[in-house]
Amino acid sequence: MSEQTERDPERRAEAGAIERLLKETEAVRSEIRKTAASVDWDSLPAVIADRALAGDRAASRRAPSARAWAWLAPFRMKPALAGLAAGLVVGAAAMYLALRAPQVPADRDGGYHASGEFLDRAELEMARRNTLDYLEKSQYVLLDVFESAGEGSVMPAALRSERTRDLLQKKKYLNAQLETFQMAKAKAICDQIESLFLELSQIDQELPAAELGRIRSYVEDRQLLLKINLVKKELQSGV
Amino acid sequence: MRKTTLTFCLVLALGLGQAAALRAGVQAATDESLFREAKLLVFDKSWQAALDKIDELIDKYPESPLAIQALFYKGECLSGLGGRERDALRAYKSYIGLRDARPSLVEESEGSIIDLAFDLYKEGSDSALREIESRLDHPNKVVRYYAAYKLSLVSDKKEAAKAAPVLSRIVETEKDPELLDRARIALLRVSPESLKSAEDRKPGSGSTARMLRIRIRAAGQREPAFSLNIPIALADLALNALDEDDKAAIRKKGYDISKIMNELAKSKESILRIAGDDGTIIEIWID
Repeated sequence: MSEQTERDPERRAEAGAIERLLKETEAVRSEIRKTAASVDWDSLPAVIADRALAGDRAASRRAPSARAWAWLAPFRMKPALAGLAAGLVVGAAAMYLALRAPQVPADRDGGYHASGEFLDRAELEMARRNTLDYLEKSQYVLLDVFESAGEGSVMPAALRSERTRDLLQKKKYLNAQLETFQMAKAKAICDQIESLFLELSQIDQELPAAELGRIRSYVEDRQLLLKINLVKKELQSGV
Repeated sequence: MRKTTLTFCLVLALGLGQAAALRAGVQAATDESLFREAKLLVFDKSWQAALDKIDELIDKYPESPLAIQALFYKGECLSGLGGRERDALRAYKSYIGLRDARPSLVEESEGSIIDLAFDLYKEGSDSALREIESRLDHPNKVVRYYAAYKLSLVSDKKEAAKAAPVLSRIVETEKDPELLDRARIALLRVSPESLKSAEDRKPGSGSTARMLRIRIRAAGQREPAFSLNIPIALADLALNALDEDDKAAIRKKGYDISKIMNELAKSKESILRIAGDDGTIIEIWID
């Protein structure tokens, strides 16, 4: 191998460079040995700690808010420990997020809120339901009046009067909604029923047969019960 | 002679009495028939014809008890005619002021005054709101509640907020579900924080009332496109009032309102996540 080296000028130059590097390394190694011999290894940790704390104190004088992070100082000296702690924290957080099921969104702000547009839709839905309810209850009252004109009322007159008064109250609230949401057909029929109930609400005694007959013919002439059923069907299938 | 005079006086007295009775009978028939005709016209919303009959009744038979009731129907006709709101207001107020006014018609008149005042306000008469405000402490709760409800619909938020105390009282004390829901929605409009306090104070609600929360996020978006926090009592209504597309997405995934409510009821902290085909995420939960 040495023969080959001597013959090849490139390898000869390379071997020379390595030889020089080894000599320089030996020189540095001897300097390190000298320096290491001059160090007092027993007192060195205390000296480093003092200097480090003196540095922290100076820094905290410059920036008081940094005191809050003083508890982290030991970790600066022990990167492995800090790394371990950080790993534990991140791992625990990841486990919590992964295993917590189902997850609740972050924007859990406190009070009630709803947009005006949503409230309009809610009122429309409410109008639909309440109109249906109003029409159904009205149907019962009208059918009872029909019974009265025939074989006799199921409902005492005073109770009928009270029921009609309740329905009149409901109708007041419906008016605004029926107009706002353009439920014209429902409004027309509800208005007709309202006029009739206005009369019935004032009568808390049994009506004479002639009067009942008149109301019955009024309802029949205007086909109120049929119209109620048709509007109900429309409302049931959505406005 | 004395006998003849006595007989003449008796005959005269009888004759006059009969005539008076006959006249009264004719009047009863006439004012009654006028009144009945007017009411039939009111039923059919023939306002002008009905008003003419009523005016005729009041003119011809001012002393008739039916003339008192006719004043209420006059208000109805004027109100129905349109453009005569102030005349209608006057008619209703006159009726309320009558000693023999019927309680059920007085209640109706109060409601009509509130409606007319609201219409006048919408047409630009701010002073008309005083009619509604003054009824917020009306002794009849039907009138008080209706005034609060109508005031909550006023566009001036400051004015509308005056309805909050009465609406809160309805939420706290009323049992009628329809009235309760109306009051809740009205409070959500004018003062959501008052609704929260009222729900919390409501007997049986515990320290804090349960709340339904809905968030709808478009695909890839962090901020919700739709956000809602409402009392759990309005849950059914709220889910039905969602946007049609969102409702369709929910239905497509096999959910209906009752299934959603059942799933949410299983655990109050659980969250229901429904992903739409377009990537929309609907989150519903209760706490």
